[in-house]
Amino acid sequence: MNWLALRMLTGDRSKYLSLILSITFATLLMSQQVSIFMGIVTRSASQILDVRDAELWVMDNKVRYIDEAPYLPSNSLQRVRGVPGVEWAVRYHKSNMTARLPDGNFRNVIVLGVDDATLVGSPRRMVVGELNSLRLPNAVFIDKAGYEYMWPGEPFQIGREFHLNDRRVFLAGICKASAPFTTLPVMYTRFSEVERFLPSNRNLMNYILAKPLVGSDALEVCRAIEEQSGLMALTRDGFFWRTISYFMRSTGIPINFGITIALGFIVGAAVAGQTFYLFTLENLKQFGALKAMGVTNIRLIGMILLQASVVSGMGYGLGMGMTALFFTFTNRIAPMAGIHLTTIAATGVGLAVLMIILLTSLFSLRKVLFLEPAVVFRG
Amino acid sequence: MTKTVRTLFLPTLAMGLFVFSIYHLLFAAEKLPKEDPLLEPPRQSFALGISGTGLVEARAENISLGTAVAGVVLEVCVTSDQLGQRVTAGTPLFRVDDRHLKAQLRTHHANLSLAEAQLERLEAMPRPEDVPPSEAKVKVAEANRTRLKDQLERGEQLLGKKMMVEEEFTSRRFTFLAADQQWQQAQAEDALLKAGSWKPDKTVARASVDAAKANVANLETEIDRCLVRAPVDGQILKIDVRPGEYVNAAAAKALILLGDLERLRVRVDIDEQDIARFKPTGRVTATPRGATGQLLNLKFVRVEPYVIPKKAFTGDNTERIDTRVLQVLYEIDDDQPGVYVGQQVDVSIEQNND
Repeated sequence: MNWLALRMLTGDRSKYLSLILSITFATLLMSQQVSIFMGIVTRSASQILDVRDAELWVMDNKVRYIDEAPYLPSNSLQRVRGVPGVEWAVRYHKSNMTARLPDGNFRNVIVLGVDDATLVGSPRRMVVGELNSLRLPNAVFIDKAGYEYMWPGEPFQIGREFHLNDRRVFLAGICKASAPFTTLPVMYTRFSEVERFLPSNRNLMNYILAKPLVGSDALEVCRAIEEQSGLMALTRDGFFWRTISYFMRSTGIPINFGITIALGFIVGAAVAGQTFYLFTLENLKQFGALKAMGVTNIRLIGMILLQASVVSGMGYGLGMGMTALFFTFTNRIAPMAGIHLTTIAATGVGLAVLMIILLTSLFSLRKVLFLEPAVVFRG
Repeated sequence: MTKTVRTLFLPTLAMGLFVFSIYHLLFAAEKLPKEDPLLEPPRQSFALGISGTGLVEARAENISLGTAVAGVVLEVCVTSDQLGQRVTAGTPLFRVDDRHLKAQLRTHHANLSLAEAQLERLEAMPRPEDVPPSEAKVKVAEANRTRLKDQLERGEQLLGKKMMVEEEFTSRRFTFLAADQQWQQAQAEDALLKAGSWKPDKTVARASVDAAKANVANLETEIDRCLVRAPVDGQILKIDVRPGEYVNAAAAKALILLGDLERLRVRVDIDEQDIARFKPTGRVTATPRGATGQLLNLKFVRVEPYVIPKKAFTGDNTERIDTRVLQVLYEIDDDQPGVYVGQQVDVSIEQNND
C-alpha cells in the first residue's frame, strides 16, 4: 500500500518536483536567514567571545553593551583584586580610533588594549607573526579581515607603519579575530600603548577581566565583586547575552530578519499546501477506488502522511544542503566570515517544515476522509 | 535501469545534501577552546585581602638632588659608570659655574691683606728709627735749659751785688723760661712717639680686617654652594645633568637621584575605599609586574598619616589624579635580585578580621 502511495506521488512528475522545490525553497530561505541573523547578532559580541582566557568581565554598573562602557578609575583594578574569590584581575581597554595610513587614507579601527605584563585578552590565532611581538614598543596586531580592509589586495606583510592619533605604530602581526558587528578592523595593542595614543584621558580602563578562584561559583564571585566594589561583574555568557539583547531591542535587525523568515514560511506553506491539495484532488479517484476496495481511513491517513513526509524530507534535505553549500562558499569573503548554518536554525526550520506539511496534509486529509467511494463511479 | 536511476536521483541528492549539511553543522562553527593567560597575572595571596599598587623606593626615600645656585654646569664629577655605586656623604657630584666668584675672591683676599697690613703697621708703632732723634731732641732742650738756668743764677748773684742792671736780669729770666718750656715740649713729644699708635685707630683697623675676612668667607661659602655634594651615604640612582646645561633651583626634575639601596622599601597606594579594611598587622606580599612567580615578603614600616591624591606613576608631570590613596610603607624582607628602585609591584595585604 505504501508502495502505491509512492507511485502515486512520483506518477505526476511536475507536481512531485514542485512540491519538493517549494519545501526546498522555504527551507533554504528560512535556514539561511535564521543563520545570518544569528551570525550578525553574535558579531555584536565578537570581542567578548574572543577573550578566552578570562571568565569575568567587570565594568561600570550601567553598561548596556560592549561598545558603551565608560572608563573606570585605575584603582578599581586593585579593588577588584581584593575581592575574595577573585583569582586574578587585569585591565582591558576597548575604544574606536582613527588610523591614518601612510598614503593619507584613514580608517576607523576598534582598539583593544590588553594588560602589558600578561597579555590577557590577546588574540591566540596568528596568521602572520607571533604573539610575543605584541610586547615590542609601538607594536599592534590587526585581524586578517581588517588587514584586507586597510590594504586591499596586498600580500600580508608585517612591519607596516601607520599613525594613531599622530603616534607612530607598526604592524607586528596579523591575527584571527571574530568579525565585529561594524566590520571595522580589530586592532590589538598593549595598555601602555593606548595611554600613548590617548594622553589626555585621565582613565583608559573600561573593563577589568578577571578569573574566579578554581572551585568557586562564577556567579557568586560576580555578586561579591558587585557588593564590594559597586561595579557590575558579568560572566562571559552573561555579558554576551546582555550585549545581544541590547542589539535585539534597539536595532531593526530582528524585525527585518523576522519578516523575511515569516515570508519564507508563508510562501513555502502556501505553495506546498496548494500543490499538495491539487495533487490530492487529482488523485481523488484513486483514493475513492481504494476506499471502495475497503481500505480503512487510518490506512489512507498513513498514505497521505507518507507522501507528505517524503516530499518534505527531501525538500528539507535539499534546502539544508544548499544552505550549507552557500555558507561554505560565502565564508571565505570578509562580510560573511564566521556566519554559518546553526543547529538552532536547522532544528527550528525542521519544525517549521513539519508544521507546513501537517497543515497542508490536513486539508488533503479532510478531502479524502470525507470522500464518498461512489465518486469513482460518477462521470 | 535508467528509470530506476531517474527515480532514485532526487532522493539520493537530497540524502547527500542533508548529510553535507550535518557535516557543515558539526564542523563549520569554530568552537574555540578556553585558554590560559600567557603569563599568570598577579593574584591575591590571601583568602581575604586588599590589593594595592606599590612603588619600590630606597630606604629613607629617594633623594632628588638639586642645586642651590642657578647657572651653567661646569663639570659633573660622577660619570654614568658610577651609577649604582656607593658614595659617601660629602662626595662632590657636580659644580655649577663659579668662575666669577673665584675672581671676586682674589679681590677680597687682596682687601684682606691690605687691612691686615694696615693693622700691622699701627701695631708696630713707634718706628724704632724715630726714637733716637726724639731722645736727642729732649737732651738738646735739656742742655739748653741747664745752660740758661746757670746764666739766670749767675745773674741773680750779680744783681744782688748790683753789678747787673735789672733789665738784663729780666731778659735772662724770660729766656730761661722759654728754654724750660721747649724742654717740656720735647719731653712730651718724645713720650707721644714712644706711646705708639692710638688704640681706637687700632680698633678701626682690626674691624676692617674682620670685615675683609668675612667677605672672603662669604665668597668661599658661595663657591662651596656651587659644588653639589652627596648629603648622605648612598648609591647614585640616576644622573640627569651634563656639563653645559643650565640648572636652577626651581627646576622640578632631579638632577641626581640618590638613595640608600641597602634595604629597599615599597610605598603602597591603598584606595580610600579600602582604608577601612586595612590593618597594619596583616601579612603582605608583593609580586613584580610580569613575574608572578616571584613573591616578595614585605615588613610593615609605617603608615603615612596623610591621605594624598593618587598619582598614577606615569612619570609625567601632568600625572592623573582620580582618587585619594593611603600610602603605607613596607620594607622588602628578603634580599631578592631583580627588584629595582622605581619598579611597580602588585601588593596583597592580608585582611584579618580580629
